[in-house]
Amino acid sequence: MNSLTRLKKVLKLRTIVATGAGLAFCSSTFVAQVQVAGFVAGESAWLAILISGFMCLLAAMCFSELNGQLPSAAGIRLYFVRAFGDKAGLSVSLLYMAVIMGVIGAESYIIANILHEVLPAVPPLIWVLLMITAVTVINIRGIKLAGGFQDALTYGMLLSLLLMAFLAFTTYEVTFTSLIMPGSIDGLINAVALGIFLFVGFEWVTPLAEEVTDSSFIARGMMTAIGVLSISYALFTVAMTSTVPKDILVASPIPHFIFAETVLGRGGAVWVLILSLAATFTTFNAGLISVSRFMYASARENILPKIFSKISMRFLTPWVSIATLFVIAVTLSVIILITGRYLILVNMAAAMESVVYAMAALAVIVLRKREPHADRPYLVKGGALIPALTFLIFGGLAAAVLTTETRAAFYIALGFLLCFAYVITVVPYLKKQQVSKTSARRRKRRRPSRAVEAPEADGLVKK
Amino acid sequence: MATHQEIKESLETFCKNYNKNDKLRVMNKDWDRVVLVKATDIDSEHTLELKNGVVVLKEGASDNPEMTVISDSETLADLFYGDITPTEPYMNGTLKILGTEEDILRLDFVSLMIWGE
Repeated sequence: MNSLTRLKKVLKLRTIVATGAGLAFCSSTFVAQVQVAGFVAGESAWLAILISGFMCLLAAMCFSELNGQLPSAAGIRLYFVRAFGDKAGLSVSLLYMAVIMGVIGAESYIIANILHEVLPAVPPLIWVLLMITAVTVINIRGIKLAGGFQDALTYGMLLSLLLMAFLAFTTYEVTFTSLIMPGSIDGLINAVALGIFLFVGFEWVTPLAEEVTDSSFIARGMMTAIGVLSISYALFTVAMTSTVPKDILVASPIPHFIFAETVLGRGGAVWVLILSLAATFTTFNAGLISVSRFMYASARENILPKIFSKISMRFLTPWVSIATLFVIAVTLSVIILITGRYLILVNMAAAMESVVYAMAALAVIVLRKREPHADRPYLVKGGALIPALTFLIFGGLAAAVLTTETRAAFYIALGFLLCFAYVITVVPYLKKQQVSKTSARRRKRRRPSRAVEAPEADGLVKK
Repeated sequence: MATHQEIKESLETFCKNYNKNDKLRVMNKDWDRVVLVKATDIDSEHTLELKNGVVVLKEGASDNPEMTVISDSETLADLFYGDITPTEPYMNGTLKILGTEEDILRLDFVSLMIWGE
């Protein structure tokens, strides 16, 4: 981009890293960390986390190439539609958005449990309602987290993780052999597959491409975020499992709370509560922003009913989409609070994320063939090797999760079928309805050179 | 392929409709923005300056735009004449809008207010 087209409002690399890491970091990641640890022997979870992080780096390279070629807030939807066509691209995007909403359900359960531990007089449901209502109001009013606030929040959270891990290591002993013996290869594969969940959302930073001066910032930001997260997660997980017996952590929805209380007493518990609240708040906020904007754009394109494109005249935000998501989030959270089955959502998100990363890698290969001369400011080096490897790795990891967690596999398959059925039946109907409405209104096109073409185009016969 | 003149006329139509829409003028009275409109297939650049709820069209590029609308000349002319909505070309990558997410949403809303669905 030349200097003439440079934007006034720009984001710095520091903020891109903070946003990428902040999107991935949520309260559910603590649960996923101990689940990863549960699959491997001793204190070797760090190994699985670093491998997962490295694999996500490969996916980040693919996302960087796609984002450089197609810088748009439409993100994965645009990449997949371009590479795989409307039906497959749309179906996967719809399902992906649904799974993101599922993560909000899991988050609610975890944060409500922590808050209930600290203030048992208030029922968990009240906390969930308060949190989701607060984020919904903020979204409807169009209040956005300032870059500086996002920076402070994310770096503060990461620093807290490292500090707590350091304090645990100075008090509790870790044996070297327990660190390097992960046990069975099956366990390690499952741990790596679930470890992908720890990085879920780093790629949501790609819509910011339109707010940065240098598109390479997005690539560097994503990769730095993954690196920082990998190290923080690895150290914190080892600290947790070397302090509290693994079976206690694995069975709890609030392992980080138990850990902090063990190491630092009540003060540690409050610290982790604040940490968790901040992490959940940013996740809710990011989830609501991404999904509501996706719904708005889809409604404008007649993929979803028109009502979802309604905008608040006062705040200029898609209030119907946001309000609908509020209802969905509360319903999901209540279901999870009643059933306690939050882990299935974590597994579904891990599997879905692997599917999306595998598809992104495949999209790189397909688009290179289909659009060989397109401008690619970031090109993954080594020809098709890295995208092909990324596709195989994430395809394999998705298969590993789905074969282990058959219930998650069933829901994902069912979700995909429903989305696909919607795309091939409801979407054409909505589009047809809109075409007949528009052609009735716009018999004549406004552009003078096109005005004479319009009647035939609309199927009208000239007299 | 549309000509530079056609893009200019489409932008003039857009500005005329924008400025005569009282609701839009009130709603956007605090939304002061410089928008660069740039064609990819022909040499054509225009600047839309929004200030105090009024939009003014200028020939050529601005030094420091807050938003940049980039597309082929056909899409730009159709878009500013209101013959197509921005969403579809934006979602399929034909239309690129560089700017903040709020500004992109507002621009889409402006087009909705002027041209309808």
